[in-house]
Amino acid sequence: MNPKYRVVSIIARGALLACAWAAGAALAAPSAATAAAGSPPTATAPATPASGTTAAPDVAPADNFKTLDQEVQGLKKDVIDLNKDLFVLEEELLFPSNTQVALYVSMDVGAFFALDSVTVKIDNKEVKNYLYTAREADALLKGGVQQIYLGNLKVGKHELVAFFTGKGPAERDYKRGATINFDKGIGAKYLELKITDRVAKHQPEFSIKDWE
Amino acid sequence: MRRVLLGLSLMLSALLGVSSPVASSWAAAPSLVGKNAPDFVLKAMDGRNLRMSEFRGQVVLVNFWARWAGDSRQEMPALDRINTTYSRAGLVVLGVSVDEDLGRAREFAGAMKVSYPIMFDTGAAIGRDYLLQKMPMTILVDRAGVVRYSNVGFKRGDERAYLDHIRELLRE
Repeated sequence: MNPKYRVVSIIARGALLACAWAAGAALAAPSAATAAAGSPPTATAPATPASGTTAAPDVAPADNFKTLDQEVQGLKKDVIDLNKDLFVLEEELLFPSNTQVALYVSMDVGAFFALDSVTVKIDNKEVKNYLYTAREADALLKGGVQQIYLGNLKVGKHELVAFFTGKGPAERDYKRGATINFDKGIGAKYLELKITDRVAKHQPEFSIKDWE
Repeated sequence: MRRVLLGLSLMLSALLGVSSPVASSWAAAPSLVGKNAPDFVLKAMDGRNLRMSEFRGQVVLVNFWARWAGDSRQEMPALDRINTTYSRAGLVVLGVSVDEDLGRAREFAGAMKVSYPIMFDTGAAIGRDYLLQKMPMTILVDRAGVVRYSNVGFKRGDERAYLDHIRELLRE
């Protein structure tokens, strides 16, 4: 959908929700006050058998609360959905697909390397420096893929350098780099920084994969 | 466009009923109390990288200190005693040095021999996020990651106030 129409649609939905919320709050206030006072149910209860009416008036307030609560839950769900749409829209606006570049980090096996940090430079400018906690490194080892950077780049040739630091074989401090020259065309660019084990040499291997 | 998005975000927050907890009277830095603690990741002296958000679910005491701040020398041993007693109950104490001279800060931290992790914010970026005014500064973050109390400076007796607030947060 056109972003302009999406914005208009989101604003309209937001305004509707605000009105609904305000109406819900206005309804809830007198009901809550009545419930807090507690007098109507107790006062009407003894009179009910005498007048021959059913027990409906006793149940009604509880039902009202139930439906109101359901409405509030529904509104909350709508708000969460709307928030999600806003987030997606914001990302589309900030990082349009024509200039978008996204970098991911993945790790396979990791017997010869314990990841500590990754520094990324694009065209000689540092764009990201990320320190990994033990939990994050563990998540990567379990197959997780992390989006380390999302930004914008002009169409044309670019150079990306990634530095990996950590502990190598025999607990030695280890720092290695990987470079890729890539062409940014029209459309999003996805690059994956891969850390793998080279079993034959008992060394880790660092590479950058260009996802066409 | 950004204004529209910002306006909508604010409206949504209001609709969701996101409200900050009531600020404590103890707070000397009310601007941060009641807000989510800014996330950070720093390397500790023992080589581990520690991320603030990973302690969600625990009560966290963050102590910003500097070698040149005399009060830090008194406060750090007091915090060490608190850490020893309450770490098993779910308290995490983190010391963050804002010294620019990393070597001397490490030397100082080593001499203090505290049992809790000491980290170094040499770029002062985290200090800016936490609106540091004076050294030392101690903040208490609840299990939900919200800054609940903040204390600037340190004088004798402050550790009792820390304990009261820690017990209160641990009970929540």
